Amino acid sequence: MPKSNLSEQLDRAIQALFTPGAAPRRRDGAVPIAPVAALARVASELRGLPRADFKAALRAKLEGGTPMASKPAAAPEPQQTATAYLIVNGAASALEFYKKAFGAVETMRLTGPDDKIGHAEMRIGNTTIMLADEFPDHGAISAKTLGGSPVMLHLHVSDVDAVAARAIAAGAKTVRPVEDQFYGERSGQFSDPFGYTWMIATRKEELTREEVQRRFAALQQTSPATFAEEPKRTLPVPYIRKGFRTLTPYLLVPGAARLINFFKEAFGAEEIFRVPRPGGNRIMHAEVRIAGSMVELADASAEFKPRASTNILYVPDVDAAFQRALDAGATSLSAPTDQPYGDRQGTVKDPSGNSWHITTHGSGQHIVANTPAIVPMFQVRDAGKYVEFLEQAFAAREIFAAKDPQGIARHVRLRMGDSILAGGEAGEESQSAPFLLHMYVPNTDDLYAAAVRAGATTIRGLEDAPYGDRTATVQDPFGNLWSLATHIKDVKI
Amino acid sequence: MKAVQEPSERRLIEAAQQDPSRFAALYEIHFERVYAYVSRRLGHREATEDVTSEVFHHALANLPRFEWRGAPFGAWLMRIAANAIADRWRRGAREQSDTLANDPASAEPSPEEIEIRAQLFRLVQELPIEQRKVVEMRFAEEKSIREIALALGRTEGAVKQLQFRGMQSLREEAAKVSGRSAALKTSQKKNRSGAANA
Repeated sequence: MPKSNLSEQLDRAIQALFTPGAAPRRRDGAVPIAPVAALARVASELRGLPRADFKAALRAKLEGGTPMASKPAAAPEPQQTATAYLIVNGAASALEFYKKAFGAVETMRLTGPDDKIGHAEMRIGNTTIMLADEFPDHGAISAKTLGGSPVMLHLHVSDVDAVAARAIAAGAKTVRPVEDQFYGERSGQFSDPFGYTWMIATRKEELTREEVQRRFAALQQTSPATFAEEPKRTLPVPYIRKGFRTLTPYLLVPGAARLINFFKEAFGAEEIFRVPRPGGNRIMHAEVRIAGSMVELADASAEFKPRASTNILYVPDVDAAFQRALDAGATSLSAPTDQPYGDRQGTVKDPSGNSWHITTHGSGQHIVANTPAIVPMFQVRDAGKYVEFLEQAFAAREIFAAKDPQGIARHVRLRMGDSILAGGEAGEESQSAPFLLHMYVPNTDDLYAAAVRAGATTIRGLEDAPYGDRTATVQDPFGNLWSLATHIKDVKI
Repeated sequence: MKAVQEPSERRLIEAAQQDPSRFAALYEIHFERVYAYVSRRLGHREATEDVTSEVFHHALANLPRFEWRGAPFGAWLMRIAANAIADRWRRGAREQSDTLANDPASAEPSPEEIEIRAQLFRLVQELPIEQRKVVEMRFAEEKSIREIALALGRTEGAVKQLQFRGMQSLREEAAKVSGRSAALKTSQKKNRSGAANA
């Protein structure tokens, strides 16, 4: 059994410890297997683990209470051995910048008589960073005065794109844009207004040292000049085609050309390319980008019949976007209103019959880091069962679920690779709307086999498509279509 | 179980009787044991902290009266703790969810059980820093995996792995320390008769 399964199982058992009356059971009803059961026993002994600060505080109190308390209270154990100490020109505004850009929490500030900060500390994530104003007389000279710093700071975050956007909004400048790196991180470099450079990164792949070494060696074989200009490299290509994510809605519609125009007018879409069907003005395949998210579409055919799907489109200003959609020919299904879960949302039907929940993020807990601008939605009967299917067949992971008192899943969110799939129970108001989703996966063959094992039927078997993907298309037991793909080589289209 | 009563402890006690500021050394030795006992009896974290605090304050105040007669210092602390819990009961302070102690007499855990718990609490301090953070946040601060992931800037999967590895290390270390891998199993049984011989 893979270790991740064991750690999941153990966590469920631990979760049950904190839930009165719940017995540690696996979802399928089986009792935890032996190694997990032994660890769960350790966990149950730990339930009363004292808080570290309680022990220290009580000791300090006992020492303070003794008449002969000659020692100061024990200093808290330092959290980290090495700490960066930034000398900045304008420490107070630097603190404000780091709060805005990186969510830093100020933990200490000693301000001198001239309002200069002699010493301050802030926490970013689990790390303390110290900083102070420059005092050239004492040899403390800021990066800005020196014209920059040769020392860079590396930040690990859960969503590099979001943090980079925040940093730029707060005043940072891009040195190197965010992109996937060979060593398994997605990262970029940014200079702050105080002369320091921050590498911001999110781990995307768990790689062994050997694998990193292998990829590095492969990179070395390509001379830097050709590497920069020539897409033909010896490295294996990423399994997700450039510009795509794990999930991309594929709209099968009547009137694809008209729908592309609608997307341009209503949502500011950029047409990437289109392939017309021979002998006609119908579209065989087209790709457009809306707010950074790809949407694929084609005119429906005998093989792929039209399907009216539902998607969420996140925009900065729902009211303006909603009006633009109506002006471009959409039908209003519901005008923008504030939703009880924090978002503001209005819904339109596009000229081809697809529904779009145009939404501006609120602060609801259904929002997770790295949510793309377009989130496809499923609407099926027995959504709970569907979630189980998606977990089994496609390794989806439930990250949010709102259920009604009857236990019916009204709104769920699943993490699939780097994307999100939303959905809920089809009902009176929300008819079932079967979709076609294009899903990039590390290994189509494996996932295709898993999907078929879990009950999906084959629409198109495995094949190497001429555009550089290995693909297969299946229909799941709930009527949704999945076009599975692994990008295997870059092809000039 | 071997009674923890090394000759050096006698010197520590005498030193603390001379100079209360040296009580800290005794506190460091016995904190986990007292806390484990009280938490096992009371269950509720706030109540456990209150009573543990009471026990050590009482012990410090009464240290000059502690007489060295070969009875373990730890046992003296346990007696103070048992009395403090009984007092709590007499005062009718049952508003805390002291559900474990429905019947105070029958809830008396065996010294062996307490020793295993205390040992685990100490071993948590020895864990590699990331595992320790996760274990402390999860069990002492009762945070969710998601909260821990956010605080540490790690994925939820990574936090679960750290938690898993933490439990593994603790189990291995506990087995090493006790010299018996079956120790944890024993703690599941209420082996009170065996405890009396400790």
